[in-house]
Amino acid sequence: MSTIDLKAWYIAKKNIKEKLKNYSSMFWTIAFPIMMLIVYKLAFSADDGSYLINGLTTFDVEFPGIVVYTIGISCVTSAVMFSMSKKDGTLERIDAMPVSRGNVFLGAVISEGVFMNLQIILIYLFGYGILGAHFELAMMPIGYLIALIYGIASIGLGLIIASFLNSPEGANGIAMLSHMCLMFVSGSFFPLDNVSVFFTPQYWVKQVYLQLTVVGDSFSDLLYSGTIITPTSVATFFPIWSGILMILAFAAIFIILGIRIFQKKTTL
Amino acid sequence: MVYGRNLFKLIIIKIMNVSTKKEAIILSSDHNQFNENKLSTEYIIIVQNLEKSFNSVKAVDGISLKVRKGELFSLLGPNGAGKSTTIRMLTTVLKPSNGDARIAEYSLIKEKDKIKPFIGVCPQENVVFEALTAEDNVEFVGRMHGMNTDDIKERTKILLEKMNIAGRKKSAKSFSGGMKRRLNIVMSLINQPQILFLDEPSAGLDPQARRLVWDFIKDLKKTGMTIILTTHDMIEADVLSDHIAIMDHGKIIAFGTVNELKSNSNNGNILEFSFSSRKELIQAKNRLEQITDVKNITEMENNKLIISFTGGVKTLKNEILGKIESFKTLHFREDSLEDIFLKLTGRGLRD
Ligand SMILES: Nc1ncnc2c1ncn2[C@@H]1O[C@H](COP(=O)(O)OP(=O)(O)OP(=O)(O)O)[C@@H](O)[C@H]1O
Ligand SMILES: [Mg+2]
Repeated sequence: MSTIDLKAWYIAKKNIKEKLKNYSSMFWTIAFPIMMLIVYKLAFSADDGSYLINGLTTFDVEFPGIVVYTIGISCVTSAVMFSMSKKDGTLERIDAMPVSRGNVFLGAVISEGVFMNLQIILIYLFGYGILGAHFELAMMPIGYLIALIYGIASIGLGLIIASFLNSPEGANGIAMLSHMCLMFVSGSFFPLDNVSVFFTPQYWVKQVYLQLTVVGDSFSDLLYSGTIITPTSVATFFPIWSGILMILAFAAIFIILGIRIFQKKTTL
Repeated sequence: MVYGRNLFKLIIIKIMNVSTKKEAIILSSDHNQFNENKLSTEYIIIVQNLEKSFNSVKAVDGISLKVRKGELFSLLGPNGAGKSTTIRMLTTVLKPSNGDARIAEYSLIKEKDKIKPFIGVCPQENVVFEALTAEDNVEFVGRMHGMNTDDIKERTKILLEKMNIAGRKKSAKSFSGGMKRRLNIVMSLINQPQILFLDEPSAGLDPQARRLVWDFIKDLKKTGMTIILTTHDMIEADVLSDHIAIMDHGKIIAFGTVNELKSNSNNGNILEFSFSSRKELIQAKNRLEQITDVKNITEMENNKLIISFTGGVKTLKNEILGKIESFKTLHFREDSLEDIFLKLTGRGLRD
C-alpha cells in the first residue's frame, strides 16, 4: 500500500503528542540550540573588530552554522523515533492495520516539520531578534526554505540509521555521532579548507544560506553571478544556484535512500 | 501426402490442446467458485501448509487448519511452539516462508492489504503508545481504520467501561501491566473486526481480571465475531473454545473440540501423587507398573507422579491405594487437556 491520505495527519498528531512528552528529545530540539547560540555569542562578543567580510562580525558569519546544527538534529530525533517503533512493536502494530507505509513516512515528515518550523522561528527570534545577528530581509524566505529542505534530508539520514539499529539508544548514539562528524567535516562549526566539505549537505546549506541571508544584497544578482565562497573566503567556481540544486539533490537522495532501506529492512 | 497427413494430425492436436486447455480452465474456475462460495458460508480462515523459518529455526512447520465463521478457535501449546509466529503471519505482519491462507476470502500472500480492514489484533507483548492517554491510544487505532470521530468516541467509551479501565485521560505510561493488557484488547476491538486475533489475552492478569476478560470474550462470541486465541492455559482453552489445535514444535499435533480431544485420549481418570522423597517415588512407580488398569505413568519435577487409569473409583480403592504405602498428597481428577498434552508430547504445557 503506497496510498497517502488523511491517516498521515493522524500519525503526525500522535508523533507530536509523543514528542512533546519526551523531555530529552525536547531538550535537544529546543533548549540545546538556544544554549549554543548564547555560548557562540559570548565566545565571539570579545571580537576585536577584525572583520571578516563586508563589516560582519564572526557571530554573524557563524550564525548559519547554528541553523544547520539545529535543523540537522532531526536526523537524531527521527532515527530514535523509527528505531523505537521497531523495538516497541508499534511499527508492527501499525502494519497490521489498513494504513500504508507512505502515510507513516509522511506522518513523520509532518511531525518533524512542525518542530523544525518551531526551531527555525525560535532560532531566528533569538539569533536575529535578541542577539542581533545580521540579516537581509529580502533573502529570509528562501533561507527559511533551504533550512526546511535540509531538514528533510536529515530525516532521510535518520531513517537510514534507524534501518540498521534496533535500539533507540544505539540509534541516538550513531545519529548524534554522524551529525557531529558531518558538522565538523562540512566546516559548519569551524572553517575547514578541504575538498571533503563538498560531499556534505551541511556545507552547501551553510554557504548558500550564509551568502543569501548575510552577505547578499540583491537576490537575482547574487543567484546568477555570485559564486559560493569557502569558509576561508576563497571563491569557488560554483554559482549559488548550483548550491541550491545540490541541497535539493542531497534531500532527494537521503529521503529516497532512507525510505528504500527502511522498507527493505522492515517489511517482511 | 505423408507430410500432409502429419500436418493434419498436428492441427488436430493443436485444436484439441486448445480445447482441452479451455475446458480445464473453465473447470478449475468453476471449481474455485464452488469452493469460495462454500468457504464464505462456512470457513472464514483456511490455512494451507503455512511455514516460517528464522534462519535455521523452523518456528512454524507446515500447519493447515480451518476456522469456522463465528467460532472461537484456540491454539494451545507450550512456550516456543510457534503460536505467536502463526498469529503474526495470519495478521499480515510476518511473511510466510511457504504456504498460504485464505482470510475473509482473500489470499494472505497476494492480497494482504485487503485482509487488514477485517481484522483486530492484540499482540502477545503489550503495544501501547505510552505518552498517549488510554483514550488517545484507542482513537489512534480507530483513525488508522478510517473511523469517524463520533463512532470512535462512542465505541471507546463503551469498550473502556466494559474492560473496567479507569483513568482514561491518564497517559498509558502510568498504567499497570494488567491495565495495559486490557487496553490492548480494547484497541484490537475499536474497528469492530470480523476476525479477532488474541495472542495470550489473559497473560499477566489477576484472577478477577481474567474472569472479566473471559466473560467479555464470551460476549463477543455471541455477536458473531470469529476469534482466534493462543494460550498455554488449558483451563482458558477449555472454558472458551469451540475448537482447539494443540501445537508443539511448529506443528499441529492434535485438533478437535474439547470433548473430542478428551474422548479420543481415552485415559479415564487421573491421579497426581506427590512424594516426600525420590526413593518413595521410585518404590511407588515400580508397584504401579504392575497394575493392569494403570495406563500411563509420567514423572514430573518435585517428586510428582501423574498416572492415568481406567476403572474409576473401584480401581483406585482396590488396586492403587492398597499398593502404595506412603505419599505426601494425592489429587484425583478427570482427564484434562493438560494430560492429553502430556500424553502427546511427553512434557507439560509450561515446560
Ligand atoms: N524473530 C525471530 N527470530 C528468530 N527466531 C524466532 C523469532 N521469533 C520466534 N522465533 C523462534 O520461533 C519459535 C516459535 O516462537 P513463537 O514466539 O511463535 O512461540 P510461542 O508458541 O508464541 O511461544 P510463547 O508461549 O513463549 O509465546 C521459537 O523457537 C522462537 O525462538
Ligand atoms: Mg507467543
